[in-house]
Amino acid sequence: MNCHVRNMVCLSQRSQAKFRIIILILILIAVELVHPTMPCKHENCSQVLHRSLKLTKSMAKRSAEILETYKTSQGDSADLICDMQMDNVPVSTISGQTMSERILSVYTHLKEFLPHMKTVMEQQKDLNPPTNLVVEGLHSMITHVHHIALRVNCILQILQPNIPIPEPAERPTGIPPAQNIFQQKAYGCIVLSRLQELLSQAVQEQKSLKGKLCRKRNKDQFLMN
Amino acid sequence: MDTSCNLLLLLMFLHYAVGFTNSCVKILPDSSSNIVLEVGKDFTATCHLLEGSDYTSDDIEWISENGSIPKQSYRRINETAVSVTVNIDSDLNGWLKCRAAKQSLSFVPPCVYGISLHAGYPPLKPTNLSCIAVQEDKDISPNLNCSWDPGSRNPLIDTTYTVYANVLGTFQKHKAECNQHLARSCVVNLETFPIHMILKVWVEVKNALGSEQSELQNDSSYFAKPNPPLNVQVLAEVNIPTSLMVTWKHPIDRTIMKLSYAIRYRKAASDVWIEVPESFTRGYIESFRLQSLEPYTEYVVQMRCIGESKSSYWSDWSLSVTNSTAEAKPASAPDLWRIIQPTANNRNVTLIWKDPVKANGKILSYNLSINQGYKMFESPSIKANTHSQMYSMELPPGKMANIEITAFNSVGASPKASLFIPGSDKELPGVEDMSWSVLDGKPEPKLQVKWTAVLPPRPTLHLSEYLLEWVKITQSVHQTELQVGWQRVPKNLTITTLNADLEKFKRYNISVYPIYKNHSGHRLFQAGRPVTRPAYIQQGTPIEGPTVKVKKSKKNSAELTWDEIPLDSQRGFITNYTIFYAIGNTKQWKSVTVDPNVHSHVLTDLASETDYVVNVLVSTEAGSFKGTDCTFKTMKYGDGEVEVIVVVVCLGFLFLTVFIIMFCLRKREVIKKMLWPQVPDPSDSSIAHWSPDFPIKADLPKEDVSVVEVDVFDGKSLCEEEKGVLPLKKDKYLSEEHSSGIGGSSCMSSPRHSVSDSDEGDSGQTTSSTVQYSTVLGSGYKGQTPSHQPPAFARSESTQPLLDCEEHPDHLNESQSRSSYFRRGRELEPGVLAPECDGGSLTFCPVQEEEVSPVTEEPPASALSYMPQKSGYRPQ
Repeated sequence: MNCHVRNMVCLSQRSQAKFRIIILILILIAVELVHPTMPCKHENCSQVLHRSLKLTKSMAKRSAEILETYKTSQGDSADLICDMQMDNVPVSTISGQTMSERILSVYTHLKEFLPHMKTVMEQQKDLNPPTNLVVEGLHSMITHVHHIALRVNCILQILQPNIPIPEPAERPTGIPPAQNIFQQKAYGCIVLSRLQELLSQAVQEQKSLKGKLCRKRNKDQFLMN
Repeated sequence: MDTSCNLLLLLMFLHYAVGFTNSCVKILPDSSSNIVLEVGKDFTATCHLLEGSDYTSDDIEWISENGSIPKQSYRRINETAVSVTVNIDSDLNGWLKCRAAKQSLSFVPPCVYGISLHAGYPPLKPTNLSCIAVQEDKDISPNLNCSWDPGSRNPLIDTTYTVYANVLGTFQKHKAECNQHLARSCVVNLETFPIHMILKVWVEVKNALGSEQSELQNDSSYFAKPNPPLNVQVLAEVNIPTSLMVTWKHPIDRTIMKLSYAIRYRKAASDVWIEVPESFTRGYIESFRLQSLEPYTEYVVQMRCIGESKSSYWSDWSLSVTNSTAEAKPASAPDLWRIIQPTANNRNVTLIWKDPVKANGKILSYNLSINQGYKMFESPSIKANTHSQMYSMELPPGKMANIEITAFNSVGASPKASLFIPGSDKELPGVEDMSWSVLDGKPEPKLQVKWTAVLPPRPTLHLSEYLLEWVKITQSVHQTELQVGWQRVPKNLTITTLNADLEKFKRYNISVYPIYKNHSGHRLFQAGRPVTRPAYIQQGTPIEGPTVKVKKSKKNSAELTWDEIPLDSQRGFITNYTIFYAIGNTKQWKSVTVDPNVHSHVLTDLASETDYVVNVLVSTEAGSFKGTDCTFKTMKYGDGEVEVIVVVVCLGFLFLTVFIIMFCLRKREVIKKMLWPQVPDPSDSSIAHWSPDFPIKADLPKEDVSVVEVDVFDGKSLCEEEKGVLPLKKDKYLSEEHSSGIGGSSCMSSPRHSVSDSDEGDSGQTTSSTVQYSTVLGSGYKGQTPSHQPPAFARSESTQPLLDCEEHPDHLNESQSRSSYFRRGRELEPGVLAPECDGGSLTFCPVQEEEVSPVTEEPPASALSYMPQKSGYRPQ
C-alpha cells in the first residue's frame, strides 16, 4: 500500500514537473511569438539609446521637412487648415510621471500615429500624383517611425524588463470614415504637425535618458552579478 | 481494296507498337521528373517484374546511355527483382533502363522501363558576401546591391540564389532571386533604407541536392556608401604662403550618418598623393587647413568621407580642386652659367641663368652685377623673361670677371648666385675623360654621362660640384637661338643621367665642367676646362643621301667625290659610306665601303669606254640612305695614250716630211723637170742658135730614153745612118727629150721627131704647114729586147713644133751649162735635120716619117727645116 501510495505520489510529482516544463516552454514560445526578433539583444544599452535618439532626431527633422513640403503643396490656406481643431487625431502630448511611463507614452503615441500616417499617405496619393514628395516622404517616414517604435520598445525593455509592454489597438481609434478634400487636407496637416511635435518630444525624452538609462542598467547588472 | 490493305497495316503497326511499349517491369525509385543524383555517390535502382510477367530475374538487363551495364553490378534480390548500383559521374545524364527479354528466340515481346537521371553537385556556400547601398540625394538608396563569391564548381543542375534582407525587430523580409548561372550579385529592394537599425542580409543558394547560405548582420550604416563631400573648395591664405584652407559640406545629414573625412593633396606637377592623417580630420568638421606647403605652388586636393568610426563604406574621392599657395621671398639663388665664345681679339661671354629652384613666386626681374678686373663694370637690371634669360658682354682674354645675380619676385630678393671667369690663360684643369651612353628608360630614353673625378690643383680651391652642359648642334639657318642646357651634379658623383629633354636624331655636344670654389677672400665659383663629346639620345636613319660627283674619269678608274650630308640630315653618327657602282643598266652592283671621314674614292678595275652608274649609301647605326645615282663613262684611252699617239704620228709625219724634203732636195732636178718641164724657148732655139756644148748625156737617165728601133729589117739604127750628118739633130733630139711632157705626151709617147704645134705660130716664120709627128714605138723598152716584130708607128696629133732630136747624151759633147734651148731662127740651118746618133741600139733619133710626105711635099719653108723622107724610115 505504501508502495502504491508512494508510487502514486511519485507519479503525481513527475506529472506536475512535466506540466511545469511544458507550461514554461509554451510561455517562452508565446513570448518569442510576440517578439519574434527583437533588436535589443544584439546591442548594448548605450547603442540602443544612441541609435534610437539619432533615428528620432532624424525623423523629427524630416517630419518638419515633410510638413513644410505638405504646406507648400497645399497653397496659401495651409496655415489656416493646419490650425483647425480635429479630435480624431492623436495628441502629441507625452504623459506620465516616471521615466518609464513617459517612454511608454512615447511608444504608445508612435504606434497610434502609424495608421494615421498611412491614411494621410493614401489620401495624398488620391489628391496628388502618386509620386510626389509628400507621399514619398510619408512612405519612408512610416517605416522609420515604425523603427523608432522598435527602438523605444527596446528602451522600455531596458527600463522595465519584467513588465510586459502593452500594445495599442491595431486599428486607429479616430480616423473619420469619410472626409471631403478640405477635411483630408486639414487632417493630413494636423497629423504631420502633431507627429512632428511628438517626435520632437520623443527626442527630448530620450535625451533625458542619457546618463541615466545605461548607468541604471549597468548598476542592475552589477547588482545581479 | 488498297485502302483496306493500308488500314490493316496501320492496325498491325499500332498493335506492335503498343505491345512493344507495354511494359511488364518497373524501376524503383521512380519519378515523373528527373531524378537528380549527386556526382560521386552510388545510386541503386531495382527493377521489378510485374505480376504475370513471363520473364525471370535472369532475363533482366540494365542499360544506361553508355550501353549495357555489366552484370557484375547487378544484384539479384529475388525471382522478380534485380537491382543495379552505379557510381554517378558528371556524364551520367539520361536514361537508365531496365529491359526484360528472353535470351533465346521467343515470340514474347521484350519489356522496357526507364528512369531519367540527372547528375549534379550540391551548392557551395557563398563566400565574401558584401552588400552596399549608395547615397541617393539626401538618403541612402533602398536598393541593396549584394555580391558574393559562388565558388568555382559548376553545380550542373538548376541552382537558385536568393538574397534576403530583414531589419531586426520587424517581420518584413525583403528578398530578391537571382537565377543566373553561378550568380555573383543581386539587388534587393528594401523599399526604405533603414537608419540606425540592425540589418540582416543573407544569401541562400539552393538546388535539388541541397542548400547553403551566408549572412551579414550589422548596423544599417555599414551597408551604406555616402557620396563624397560636397562643394569642396581650396582657399589660399595671403599672409600664410605655406597654407591652404580646405572647406566642404556634409553630403548627408548627420542624423542619418555622422561622417568623418579624409583629405589628400599633391603638387600639381607630381603624381604622389599625401594624405592627411585621419586623426587630424576626425570629427564632424567642414574645414581643414593644410600646412607646411611650399609657397607659390599649385596643389590638387581631393576628399572623401566615411561613417563615423568607419561605420560605412568609404565614399569615392571628390573631384580634384586646385589652387596655389601665396608667394614668398625666393628661397634659393638663380642658377647662373656662362658660354664663352672666343673671337679674334676678345671673348664673347653669354651669361645665362635659370629661375631659382625655390622661386616661391613669379620672378619679376634679375639684377646682374658684373666686375671686370676687380672693378665694377656694369650692373644691369633685367626684366624677367623666360625667352631671353641671357646677357652678353665682351671680355678681353687677359681680364677676369666676377658675375653676381639676384632674382626678385613680388615679395623680395633671392640669395645671390656668383660665377668667376678667369683670364684665358688661367683656366683650371678639367676632367680627364668623359663618356656617355643611352639608358632605355620609359617613356623616353635618357642619356647617362660618366666622367673621371678631378682633384683641385691648389689647396685653396675646393671642388664644389660638376656641371654638365648640353648644346644642340644644328645647321639650320632658321634656328639661330642658342639651345643650351646645363645641370649641376654633386661632387661625389662621377656618373649621372641628364635631366634634359633631348630631341631624337639631333646632335648635342655634351660637356663636363668641374666647378671649383675658391676660399681665398671672396667665395668664387669658377669652372674648369670642359671635356666635350658629341652625342645622340637616339640615332636614326639618315634622311638624305650624299650626292656623288665624278671628279675624274679615266680608262679603268674614276675618282668620286661627295660632300658630307647636312648635320640635320645625318640623324646619327655616320658609320661608313658604301659606294655602289654598276655597268649601265645591268644592275650588277659592286660595292666599296669606306670610312665615315672619307669623302672621295677612286674606283679601279673599271672597263674602258663603259657607262657606269654610281651612288653612295650613307649609314648610321640605325640605318642607311642611298644618294642619287650618278652616271659616268670611262675613257677610251688611258692617260698619255693619246699624247703618245699624237707624238708618234707627228714624229712620223715629221720624219716623212723631212724624208720627202730630203728626197726632193736630192731629186730636185727630177722633180723640177717633172713639175716644171723645160719649155723650149723658141727664141733660144738651137735651130737658130745652138751650141753643142750642152752636156745632156750625163743627166739623162737611160730609162728615160726610149729606144726606137727603126728599120729593124736591116738592123741599123736610124741614128747610125744619120750619124755625123747633122750635129744640129743631136741638140734637137736632146731638147725634144726635155719637152716631152708638153702636149700631153710622155717621154714614151713624145714625139721624138715631131714638129710642135707651137710651130704653128712659127709656121709663119719657119713653115706654113703643120707637121704631124708620129711616135715610134719600138719593140723594146728599158732594156727589153725587142722582138722581131715590125715597128709600130703611132701618129702623133701634137702640134708641138718639132724642135730637135733627142739624142743620147753620150753623143753630146757640149757642156751642161749650155742652154738647152736654142734659137731656131738664128741657128737653124737648112738641110741639117738628121740627128747625130751613135750606133747604140737605145738611141732615140728623130725620124722623118715617110707618111708625112704630103707635109714634106708642101711648102718650101718646111723643106728648109726638115729633111724630107721619101722612102719612109731609112734602114739603120
